[in-house]
Amino acid sequence: MNALDRPWALIAEREISTKLRDKTFIGSTLVMLFIVMVAVILPAILAGKGGADKIAVIDDGGSKVVQQASTTVGGDGYEITRAADRPAAEKLVTDGDVKAALLPGDDGYVVVGKDHVDTGIESGLREAAATVGMETNASKAGLTPSQLHSGTKVELQLLDPGPLPELVSQFVNIGLALVFYMTALGFGMMIAQSVVQEKESRVVEILAAAVPIRSLLWGKVLGNTVLALSQIVVIAAASLIGLLATDQADVLEVVAPVAGWFVVFFVLGFVALAGLWAVAGSLATRQEDLGSTTLPGQMILMIPFFFSVFAGSSAKTVASFVPIASSMSMPGRMLTEDVPVWQPLVAIAILLAATVLIVRLGARLYERTLLQTGRRLGYREALALENS
Amino acid sequence: MLRVAGLTRRFGDQLALDDVTFDVVPGRMTGFVGANGAGKTTTMRIILGVLAANSGQVQWQGEQLTPEVRRDFGYMPEERGLYPKMKIRDQLVFFGRLHGLDPDRAAERTDKLLERLGLAERATDVLEALSLGNQQRVQIAAALVHEPIALVLDEPFSGLDPLAVDAMVDLLREEVTPEVPVLFSSHQLDLVERLCDDLVVLSRGKVVAAGPVAQLAAGPTTTYRLVVDGDAGWLRDVRGIRVRDVAGGTALFDVEEGALEQKILQEAITRGPVLEFGPERVALSDVFREATR
Repeated sequence: MNALDRPWALIAEREISTKLRDKTFIGSTLVMLFIVMVAVILPAILAGKGGADKIAVIDDGGSKVVQQASTTVGGDGYEITRAADRPAAEKLVTDGDVKAALLPGDDGYVVVGKDHVDTGIESGLREAAATVGMETNASKAGLTPSQLHSGTKVELQLLDPGPLPELVSQFVNIGLALVFYMTALGFGMMIAQSVVQEKESRVVEILAAAVPIRSLLWGKVLGNTVLALSQIVVIAAASLIGLLATDQADVLEVVAPVAGWFVVFFVLGFVALAGLWAVAGSLATRQEDLGSTTLPGQMILMIPFFFSVFAGSSAKTVASFVPIASSMSMPGRMLTEDVPVWQPLVAIAILLAATVLIVRLGARLYERTLLQTGRRLGYREALALENS
Repeated sequence: MLRVAGLTRRFGDQLALDDVTFDVVPGRMTGFVGANGAGKTTTMRIILGVLAANSGQVQWQGEQLTPEVRRDFGYMPEERGLYPKMKIRDQLVFFGRLHGLDPDRAAERTDKLLERLGLAERATDVLEALSLGNQQRVQIAAALVHEPIALVLDEPFSGLDPLAVDAMVDLLREEVTPEVPVLFSSHQLDLVERLCDDLVVLSRGKVVAAGPVAQLAAGPTTTYRLVVDGDAGWLRDVRGIRVRDVAGGTALFDVEEGALEQKILQEAITRGPVLEFGPERVALSDVFREATR
């Protein structure tokens, strides 16, 4: 006589190994990876990070101004390209070899651009030219530069600074909600499909004869949760490499403390939904039925998603305590606002309770409907069913 | 021994099984016959725990069958089903492990069965790439891979050509040890008669006949058949028998007194060569028709 104590582990193992050999799954993961890499690297390239903007000059005065601008602009500053004369400098501009040229003008300087001049460069040069010019004039009048500047300094002070700039916050909020939404929806459909495939091919009868139906459910949920988390880890690793490669490591300091919370919210929300998706599969008898049986699952995901993206901040605060919705909005809130630590803890407690309830209800429905291969069932009908 | 004890099952108002009781004895093949809708598949699904009974129970070695013991059963459902897109070797190893084999043993058993079924070269093919006959072979391998302690096969030979049936029967004979009770349903009565030791006949949810095939088919008969090389007309003058029919050398008669048939055989031999003599067997299909009427 032989005994297997953990049939769900075997079910989970089959689920994972099947997916890892599934070309559609591998393909969609690669596409997602590509999109994330592009999203991480592209802004850096567009912002011209990783290299200084070149400015053409033709005399020492211009060089001095550009040098001064370079020290105040921050980042990589500007790089001076010395041209022989005015036409040579203009040619560098029209050819796109330099961003702009700083040439002597009638009373000061002229900034020469092709079709436009970057406002950052323009204001940087304008300010630097003024500083350099005034310092020269001041020393002629017998003042030192420090005397000239005394009492003119303006500092910025924010009374309620968020961890991230506002625009970035928006993107981070949407991005985190989107990661959960996409993963939960994608894997949810896969779970429902894998359940209905077993019903369609009738293999479910052999499975049910060999192991308890609950084990089948646990195995499926576990296998897909592991897969979903691994997919996110791979994508997170890829974006990490992307951030490091493009010198944006400072973003990590903000994101890292929230990563652990995100995993907790993700796993709990995902498991609760996975139970529902498995039921959606077991209510169906054919692939075509999934459209209607998965509708409630899609709604449960879609409504909180749009809510967490478009709602105002107080509504968002409420949503971040509502189960499932909290998985999409709480990690984002923690990133972009200063959330007291009791809030995520309470949200997790509520989510945990909801997950246990949903999964238990799901397991009951799954047990009752999995072997009903006659026709598609509705949720209400399934609730009314007695155990077969 | 596997015993089905007083199983009753309703679907809505319909009584699908009505106090169904029978034994499946180890080392003997028990045929399970009955018209469509008689309740064969329902009984088998209850034995495998896929369906619950309203009352009654399934017993193993005299005690109620537990899920742990049931896991060591082998089952071939009526509606065939395995994973269509999974390689057949991976698939059989998976089912072996699902029934509790360790991975090495499951692989060993799988390779042996695939070899035995002539599917060794197709081991890495996905199931749906195989012909239906070969898929059926894999299906039976899935029921046998874990060396089951009991086998329940629902219409295992339907859709197979006679050669494939023979191959399958050989495999069963080879794989099934004398401790294993085998229950299989079929509507191919000639096959059941040829293969089965015992028979259970089900009609409208009730067991209407059960017992060894030889007994059921032969019955407590008093009818004999004699074929001689010559004319058998002399039988008409023998006392104590009732001649049903005589045509040339062939006669069919009922014996009214015990042991009289032996005297008649001796008489026949003294009269000339005897070509055939024996009790008149009733075909199983007649038993079946009689029982399910």
